[in-house]
Amino acid sequence: MTATQPDRKPTTDGWARPVDKLTTTATTRSVDTVTGRRVAGPVQGFGQLWQKTFAVRLEGVDTDPETVVAYWKERFPTFWPKTARFYAPLSGIQPGEVALLDLPTVGSAPVKMSTGVLVIYADRESFTFMTPEGHALSAWITFSAFRDGDVTVVQAQALERTSDPLIELGYLVGFNRENDRFWEATLANLAASLGVASPAVETRRLCVDRRRQWKYVRNVRYSPVISTTVSTVTAPVRWARRRRAGGRAPE
Amino acid sequence: MDDTRVRIDVEPSGPSETTLCLHGDIDVFADAALAEAYASATRDGATSLRLDFDDVGYINSTGIALIVRLLAEARRDRREVLAVGLSEHYREIFRITRLSDYLTIVETPAAAVSLEEAAP
Repeated sequence: MTATQPDRKPTTDGWARPVDKLTTTATTRSVDTVTGRRVAGPVQGFGQLWQKTFAVRLEGVDTDPETVVAYWKERFPTFWPKTARFYAPLSGIQPGEVALLDLPTVGSAPVKMSTGVLVIYADRESFTFMTPEGHALSAWITFSAFRDGDVTVVQAQALERTSDPLIELGYLVGFNRENDRFWEATLANLAASLGVASPAVETRRLCVDRRRQWKYVRNVRYSPVISTTVSTVTAPVRWARRRRAGGRAPE
Repeated sequence: MDDTRVRIDVEPSGPSETTLCLHGDIDVFADAALAEAYASATRDGATSLRLDFDDVGYINSTGIALIVRLLAEARRDRREVLAVGLSEHYREIFRITRLSDYLTIVETPAAAVSLEEAAP
């Protein structure tokens, strides 16, 4: 693949401002597990470090990278598989904003994992999410578009470690591949939405560091495995409280 | 990929320290150049790497991801990493992204003491 360079250099103000603790303007139908947490990128994770690249060529579509990225930002949640939900912040995908997420746990199980992402960077041709403490992955994922000859290519590139030993165990027994399928489906949905008849998503996976970072074994205290279990077990209590308070029962 | 927007000079700066002098922009087009520079430094047997950002104009999020990957490779290979010549803006970015947890940031090249000299 031979990428061509964009004509215009992006500005340097696409970065989020530094914050110690995350806050969000997004509203979730489940639990906000992000407010008050810090970001945790690939260097702060526990498991093996993977670089994953998912790309799809927009063959036959007359568009350019900036138009595609603007469209992607605007409708980001709509391209996700139906098993997941993305609660966008009020001002959309902008640097410094925090979105909340409900992600599937195993296959089509009804239990969801509540987490979020910080928009750490956004410009006209790319945007990047960084995960908070308590996310299953300590990751950095960049969504971008670029020209390859006459064709625009859409790409998601993740640099990720599992956050804690419990998630790493899950990765070894299938979560890793399931996570790949999530992004493959997302890119295929985006490409189809832009008019590609049969989107072909190319996936490249590279294990950058096979070692586990045992110094981060204590990340398990924020493990979504634990928080999701607690949230699931206590759901009836929360439902009963909302009923007593006259609130709407969860769907 | 075409990496003409970046050039990386690999220069020995001590018996087991190598400096990677980065020139230009660090973005998706720096991928091959950074990988090649790291491979070159390790072939030379460097146990410490100094990343000199003094002549870097722009680093986007893909560029930061490339630096994260280089840091991971250095940790895997038990090499220390020192960053010099970062502008205040990018020192802040390194703090936001918590890269500063994993490398030593020195404000100016002149203030950078060789890792070997600093070692007891």
